[in-house]
Amino acid sequence: MIPLLVALPMLFAFLSSVISYIDIDRIYRETVFLLGILSPLPVFLYNIDSLPINTVVGGWSRISGIEVGIDGVNFFFLLATLIVFPLVAVYTLSHFERIGKEEGGVSRNSKFCLILLLYGSLLGSFITRDLFNFTIYLEIASIAAIILVGSSDTSGAKLASFRYLMLYLLSSFFFIFSVGIIYVKTGYLNFPLIGQNLVLDTEMKVALSIAFVALITKAGIFPLHFWLPDAHSKADTPVSALLSGLTVKAPVFGMILFLRYTPIGFLTVPLMVISFSSIFFGIFMAIFQTNAKKLLAYHTVSQMGIVLLAISVLDIYAAAHYVFAHALFKSGLFLGVGPLISSFGTKDLKSLSYRASGSLIVSFAILSLAIGGISPLIGAFGKHEILTELRGAKVYLLYATSIGTLLSFSKLNFELFKSKKNGYNGKDQGIEKGIVFLIALLTISFGIYYYPELNPMDLVFIGVALGLLSILKLSHILEWNVPRFYGKNVEGLTKQINFYTAVFVIVNSVLILLVRFGDTLQELLISIVV
Amino acid sequence: MIESITGGYLTAPITGVILIVIGLYGLMVKRDLIQQVISINIISPGVVLYFTGLGYIPGAEAPLFPNTNVVDPIPATLMLTTLVIDVAVTSFALALIIKIEEIEVRRDED
Repeated sequence: MIPLLVALPMLFAFLSSVISYIDIDRIYRETVFLLGILSPLPVFLYNIDSLPINTVVGGWSRISGIEVGIDGVNFFFLLATLIVFPLVAVYTLSHFERIGKEEGGVSRNSKFCLILLLYGSLLGSFITRDLFNFTIYLEIASIAAIILVGSSDTSGAKLASFRYLMLYLLSSFFFIFSVGIIYVKTGYLNFPLIGQNLVLDTEMKVALSIAFVALITKAGIFPLHFWLPDAHSKADTPVSALLSGLTVKAPVFGMILFLRYTPIGFLTVPLMVISFSSIFFGIFMAIFQTNAKKLLAYHTVSQMGIVLLAISVLDIYAAAHYVFAHALFKSGLFLGVGPLISSFGTKDLKSLSYRASGSLIVSFAILSLAIGGISPLIGAFGKHEILTELRGAKVYLLYATSIGTLLSFSKLNFELFKSKKNGYNGKDQGIEKGIVFLIALLTISFGIYYYPELNPMDLVFIGVALGLLSILKLSHILEWNVPRFYGKNVEGLTKQINFYTAVFVIVNSVLILLVRFGDTLQELLISIVV
Repeated sequence: MIESITGGYLTAPITGVILIVIGLYGLMVKRDLIQQVISINIISPGVVLYFTGLGYIPGAEAPLFPNTNVVDPIPATLMLTTLVIDVAVTSFALALIIKIEEIEVRRDED
């Protein structure tokens, strides 16, 4: 029964691509698209009472078949996907309706087909327990996402898509390379069987670290985040919401599978360093952005750092809960800037304003507090669980994360709250604004359902963030422009790919050397200090 | 030379790793979109060769029904999937390059 979760959207994706060759009314195409998006819901609801479920597709044995299942961890990934996709689908229809023309040479129907493919492959990667099956779903999801980015009409979308493609291919090949080592060393591709047959020697450690670097690249975590900000900000708004909300979660689920079935304790320290640097790098870059979508994209880099932090403290439940929270509020935020960008015709924060629309003001306030981890909104749930695992200075670092995120979002709300000339009267785009408001309400209701507590510290965070914002505003620091190292042309793109490949190789090499000589290094350091 | 070091058994995996390194070099040095796609296309058979070579057992036969001493068929079948994806993605990358060049040309004309 569970494989239908994947099969139905894939079937509708196929149908959707077939009917593009038949001359029929637009309404039928949209119906097929919506049916495809809704098709996995009955399957999920039917199975929801009998969790946890574990089956092997086609009734094969575990060794030769593909095992799938739903349990307390991937339940949250599936729930996020099944909530966000239908909402974004309705938004997409309304968005395309308003834009009117067919964009960028890519037909609307092809976009529907790609969104359905993305949907099916994400659901597939979230239910599978098979290493190679997971790899394939990850590839399909990434390819669908890359083509969706490239199909946007925005200037620079094609360059962003190409950069995304090269980085994705590079990390994919390295991931498959590590899958090869794991298969040879254990003899299995099924995760539970890999876990039972695994001997943690140096080769295995190297394989696991290569796999993690590849997954970190795909999840857009600093220092391997390069493809993310441009791809997420140049895509069509509904696609940005799907990319930032859900597509980057597929590699995270891969990390969770590794964490669950293989001993990755030896990677704790490097992963924690990477996660904290990603969190603060993302916030730092976001604060100085003037492009609304790029600001949100850099917050994805920072928030994925928090998810990686949960993985580095070896808490799969905290990671799953934070992923669920992030999928909700980040897709809500991206969808929220959509109506503003299309009515003002720019992404520049200085020219955008939500002042005319009461529902957008409320939605943005709620979603901004949610991303800052303020209780009782949904962001507080996962963050609280991560906090209980941390000790000492790391607790304060996570507090600083909340303050930084709130600071950046206070700036966003401050700019959007100012009324701007020749703008938007707040009358049309009812469906889009309604969906954003619904997502904001969901962040409150899930927050109260899962974590019904109020934390007085949150008021301090908000106060400090607002104080910092006024200091930064008064000192004009926020007007600093982040320097660009590469041009926005083909030459710049090729140089970027050269540089990014080098960084990818360096991160891989450093991690492998650490894994291989980490103990010797530690002894050396201790001998020098003592 | 590789065979003399490894006794023939690891020829394919080692050749695969060498191809991966060559591809990485190309990706780090070449300043042309097509050449970068070709570099990626050198890494890809490297990975395939490496993975398929891992399933090789000296002296074993093809994994067909009456044979008993056979090589591991799983790596080869898995790599089939990777190759299919690779072909599709390469064609997409080249199409994207055409679009990028068109945009560049239009911008120069403006």
